[in-house]
Amino acid sequence: MTGARRRIVITGGTSGIGLELVRRLSGRHDILVAGRREDADALPVLPDGVRYVHAPLTDPEAATQAIAEAILKAGWVKLDNLVLNAGTGFAVDGGIETAGQIRDTLAVNLTASALLARALFPWLDKAGGTLTFVGSVAYKGQGLFPAYAASKAGLHGLARALRAEWAGRVAVQVVHPGPTRTEMHQKAGHDPGRLRTIFIPAYSMAAMLEGVIAARRSPVTLSFGRYWTGGAAWSGRL
Amino acid sequence: MEWTAVSAARKALVTGASAGLGRAFAERLAAGGHAVTGIDRDAAGADVPFDHLLCDLADPGAVDALIAELAARGPFDRVILNAGISATGRFETIPPEAHARLLAVNTEAPMVLTAGLAAAGALGRGGRLIFVSSLSHFTGYPGAASYGASKDALAAYARSIRKPFEKAFGVSVSVACPGPLRTDHAARHAPEGTDAKKRMPPDEAARRILADAERGRAMITPGSGAAMFALLGRLAPGPVTSAMKRIIYDKLDRSVF
Repeated sequence: MTGARRRIVITGGTSGIGLELVRRLSGRHDILVAGRREDADALPVLPDGVRYVHAPLTDPEAATQAIAEAILKAGWVKLDNLVLNAGTGFAVDGGIETAGQIRDTLAVNLTASALLARALFPWLDKAGGTLTFVGSVAYKGQGLFPAYAASKAGLHGLARALRAEWAGRVAVQVVHPGPTRTEMHQKAGHDPGRLRTIFIPAYSMAAMLEGVIAARRSPVTLSFGRYWTGGAAWSGRL
Repeated sequence: MEWTAVSAARKALVTGASAGLGRAFAERLAAGGHAVTGIDRDAAGADVPFDHLLCDLADPGAVDALIAELAARGPFDRVILNAGISATGRFETIPPEAHARLLAVNTEAPMVLTAGLAAAGALGRGGRLIFVSSLSHFTGYPGAASYGASKDALAAYARSIRKPFEKAFGVSVSVACPGPLRTDHAARHAPEGTDAKKRMPPDEAARRILADAERGRAMITPGSGAAMFALLGRLAPGPVTSAMKRIIYDKLDRSVF
């Protein structure tokens, strides 16, 4: 087993992979979850003892401020892990999204991630911590949700640069999950149909993600190859 | 959407047309007989051979208004999303507003413009749509992290819409990843002491990019130097990023944004 209790911030921790990760880590570590739901909707979902801050990332500046204030309020002077997991997207026909869909997708997935990484760097630096960007296998391009793919490619590039810039101080990684059985597709307006049955369960994805966070490697793709070879079982713990 | 009539004069649209590579694109297309609309935050001067509209692409309201204006001017046979700004320095020393502004200009604006023009039927059938990304797409870019991210995002957007746009509009979508160019923009952001003569003149880059786009190429790396760097970056992204760190990041003497 691993040792010390870690202080961890996870965005998008009230559903999907983020929530499964919170469930895995909450007993052993101190967790602050940031999400778009109001407190009254979010708190019943989260395990006991997990802190929560309402911070919709559609407004990156305001959300960054709210999360920084929540860390101060918690009395944390160091941060061991920042997991930028929140993501949104819209499935569209013909590759044409509305301006609002493009702006929301980029704000939540890319701009907020950049601003949070920048704002929380001093806390991570003090702990020699790890910054994890949760990307997507769609980062190479995907006609069904172009802005989503673009935002995840942006995270890939941001992680590559920051990993070099902060080498020896803060470990930076980008992790690209494959198709996962969460509500994301439904929220995005896309029905994967019977394909969904082969998607990776969110708790298995969270287990693999935890292992990759502990290993601090980058970039890492978490998809069927690792899952079918028992990745959820053999991935390490944080 | 089907086009039954093609307007007599071929029309082109170039963002970031006031200077540098965008100016070279606009002048070259105008010389080739296109009626060119240029877009920029800055004026282009009185004697340019194209029509120039002022717009701050970091302002979402201005971009929305611009789309309405352009929809009335279209359809465009050549659309070049070239406008870009940079922010160089240690990531954490650059103000958050500068990072946000960069992502708005380099990534959000070209995507919103593209989708808006497509939805308005302002893309000419058989046309070309070119996104200007950067050679940094093939490596990490320490010292310009948000710039690198913005250009990676744009390249992925272009790849994403290539098939749907070909199918819906008969438009060929290309990504151009030029290396360092001999422009004021590059001079402002390059470390002290770098040799501008080694950079490609913008007109040569524009010529190569337009020629490759005519051939329908998805990925354009203008010049043999850029092509070689792209290959190296693909084969060994880690070592190439480390080299970028030594060449650029470790020599940064100032932040520019």
